This record gives sequence, C-alpha cells and structure tokens, in this order.
Amino acid sequence: MAQPAPVSTVPPRPPRVRRMLVLQYLLVIGLIAITIIAWFSMDLPTFQRVVRGFQTSLMRVINGLLNPDWEILPLAWRSMLETLFMAILGTFLGAVLAFPLSFFGARNLLGSNAASLPGKTVLVGIRTFPEILLALIFVAAAGPGPTAGIMAMGIHSIGFLGKVFADVIEGIDPGPSEAIRASGGNQVQVFLFAVVPQVIPEVMSLVLYRFEINLRNAAVLGMVGAGGIGLPLIQRIQYRLWDEVATLLFMMVAFVIVVDAISSFLRRRLV
Amino acid sequence: MGLPKAPVLKAVQSWATVAVVLALLWVSAVQTDFNFEALTTGTADFFRFFTRLAPDWRALPEQWQPLIETISIAWLGTVFGSILAFPLIFLASFNTTFNTPVLWVTRSLLTLLRSIPDLLFAAILAPVLVIGPLPGVAALTLFTLAIIAKFGSETVEAIDPGPLEALRAAGATRTQVIVYAVIPQVAATMTSYVLYVFEINVRSSTVLGLVGGGGIGMLLNTYLAFFDYGAIGVLIIVTFAVVILIDQVSNFVRTRLL
Repeated sequence: MAQPAPVSTVPPRPPRVRRMLVLQYLLVIGLIAITIIAWFSMDLPTFQRVVRGFQTSLMRVINGLLNPDWEILPLAWRSMLETLFMAILGTFLGAVLAFPLSFFGARNLLGSNAASLPGKTVLVGIRTFPEILLALIFVAAAGPGPTAGIMAMGIHSIGFLGKVFADVIEGIDPGPSEAIRASGGNQVQVFLFAVVPQVIPEVMSLVLYRFEINLRNAAVLGMVGAGGIGLPLIQRIQYRLWDEVATLLFMMVAFVIVVDAISSFLRRRLV
Repeated sequence: MGLPKAPVLKAVQSWATVAVVLALLWVSAVQTDFNFEALTTGTADFFRFFTRLAPDWRALPEQWQPLIETISIAWLGTVFGSILAFPLIFLASFNTTFNTPVLWVTRSLLTLLRSIPDLLFAAILAPVLVIGPLPGVAALTLFTLAIIAKFGSETVEAIDPGPLEALRAAGATRTQVIVYAVIPQVAATMTSYVLYVFEINVRSSTVLGLVGGGGIGMLLNTYLAFFDYGAIGVLIIVTFAVVILIDQVSNFVRTRLL
C-alpha cells in the first residue's frame, strides 16, 4: 500500500504576508548597505596607525584606570561638589524660565492646536541645540567658570522642562478650571487656583528628574571650561595621567549613583 | 465657619521643603560665585557675542564632509551598540535571565556605563583608537549599548507572560521562548527606541569632535582656535538644520511604527 501523502498542518503563507517578508528582507539589506557606506564615508586612520595606538596606549590606559591615585581625592571631591552646585542652580534656572513658557505650549490653556504651535516649536528648537555648544558660546562670551555652565544648563533645560510641563498641563482635569470660570473667576485666578495646584507634584518630580540629567551633563561641561569636574578630567586626559583620571572618574560615578538614588527616592514619594 | 482648617502637619512639611530648597540654592550660589549680576551681565555678553556669530557662508563647502562623517558616526554607534545590547537585554530582564546573580551583574554594569557621559568615553578612547571618527563611534556604541539594554529590559519585563508560559509548558528552550514569545512582542517598541537613540546620537556626535572623536566637532575646534566666528555661525546653522531634519524623519517613522 502506498504511503499516505504527508498532511501539512500549516497552511501556506497568504500573498500579503509573503510580500511583507520580501519587504523586510529588502529593508535589512538596505540597512546593511547604509552601514557599510557610513563606515567608508568616514575619514578613517590606516590600520597600522590603529595598531600602533593600541600598542602605545592601551596598556597604559588600562593600568592607570585600574590603579587610581588617591592623593587627588580631595580635589575630586571639591570639583564634584562644584558640579553638584552647578546642576542645582542650572536646574532651578531652567525650571523658573520653563514654567511660564510651558503655558504657551499647552493646548488646553490656549484653546487650540494652532495657538500652542509657536510655543511648542520654540521649545523643540531650544531642546535640539546642543548644550555643550551653548556652554562654549557662554565661555567665549562671558569667560570660563561655573557661571557659563550654569547659564548653558539653565537655557538648555528650558527645552525639556517646558515640553514636559506643557504635557502635564494638557493632562489636567478640566473640572476645577471650568468651575472657577463659571463662578466668575478670571484667567489668572483659573491659573492660580485650578492649574497650579494640580500640576505641582508632577512638576516637582520632573524637575528632580531633569536635575539628575543635568548632574551627568554638568560633568562634561567643564571639558569646554564651563566649571565642574570636567576641567580637571580633560586636563588629566590630555596629559595622559590615567591614574588621576581614574580617581576623578570614580568620584564622579559614585557621586552620580548616590545622588540618583536619593533623587529617585524623593520622586517616588512625590507622585 | 466656612472653610475647613488646612492640616498643620502638611503646612509644616511644605514650608520645610521650601526652606531646604532655598538653603540649597543659597549654598550653591555662594560656592559657585553665581549671583544676579553674573546672570544679567552673562546674558548681555551672550547677546553681544551672538552678533559676532553672523554666518560667513564661504565656510560652507568645507563643512559637508565632516557633517556626513558626523551622521555616519551616529549611525554606526547606534547599529553596533544595538547589536551588542541585544543579548544583554535578555540577561537584564528578570523573566528571561538565567539567575539572579547574572541579572544583577548585568544591571550594575549597565548602570556604571550609563553614569559615564559619551564625551568622556570619546576623550579617554581618543589616544587608543587614534583621534578621528573611531573613538566617536566607540563612545556612542557604549552609550547606545547601555541605554538600549536598559530600555529593552524594561520593555521585556512588561510583556504579557502568557505566551512565555505556554511555550515553556510545551517544553521550549530558553532560546525558543525568546525568539517566539518575547521578540514578537517587543520588536516594534524596540525599533522605535533604537530610532530615538539614533536621534540622541546625532546630537551627541556633533560635539564629540571637541575631544577628538571625529565629525564636525573637530572643525569647530579649529574654528575656535582661529577665532573664526563667522564659520562657527555657519556650522551652528547647518548642524541645527541637519539635526532637526533627522529628528523629523525619525519621528515620522516612529509614529508609524507604534
């Protein structure tokens, strides 16, 4: 007797799915092609040059980073404290400037999408402008030091904070605002007694979150002379003092992790 | 009569919070020599300086090649970082990892990586990988790796456990569970995250050159050394335009994905 024909339990793929599969393969091939083109579009050093870089520097960097020079710990601590103070002031400056700006980006306060578009666009523009470029401009304009870093951080934070504040305001319950309007309250009263009380906890939590980001960023602002731990770091990197770099890095990482933990604990309490 | 009294404890708490915040601000201002005067003169200097950045468009032609290199650095960092992050995602999620020690070691490593800014990675790697695009790519790879692995493990931990259990009950191996139950659930979200990280990387790659990481930042360094502010003006405008363009395209694709 002949073997029964094998019964296929899985039906063949419908044409639509097969077309999707072909598209997916094409997409993957396209992405790989872009990656290869990107690699060769760069101004690459020769292979020998990289090998020499490895030979001369790699072991020194690793050795230095694994053997921190604890003598400069006081310097690391002072610079990191300055970084912390910069982050506090920069975040505060950003929050104070962003709060009024966020109303111009909130659809529900202005009445329509079209009315909130200019405010939203300004905020996107600020957010997109690289912070370190702002710091460079402030250093060139007002001289090096923490003030330049604080100003750069403050301006840059407006972009993020203004946007998230606007999102929070757009998410509020319209009831209280309507109630105040119905009982004859004006726009200012609506804002003070209906909008502000509803957004305060979330706004504070977002400011804390931005503070965490700013603390990380503040560490690199010093690399262009805008104060904080970045300056001693970049100096020691340029002089190849890897053991001292290790100490500064250690201080920075430990500090950031501890402050992050405190800040996220506070944020959880808030919301 | 009328309004009920506000609870006393609550009031004390909020006044205490305000006092602590004010004290922190005061200490910070004293320690960094930051005052109202610095704020106003700083702003005035800033705007006065801005007029010197009036673009000198003759600098434009020499900026194309570094600009393309900048985007290439961002793209390669994103691709390499995402590929390397892929296995780590599953090690850092409680529902797909081997055991608790592996989970914690992976997570601690990622936290450590995330607390070091990419600019610093580029600066440290520049002597080893030769000043130019390679340290930039390596720095963004590390950054992408850390952030994608974190986003990824958060996404994987939030998926529907049903399909995982069904496959496990049917005797599937860990790899089969990941391929048939986890990946289909997270693919769209992860693609969107990767695009988002690409946007961040484009922004970062514009300044990596300041510390030897290649791209348009190296040109910026040269201009700064020669006080060529007109060329810096052009550079800022061009960089800004490219970043916004890439953001818009990436945003469009992301909204289509989800």
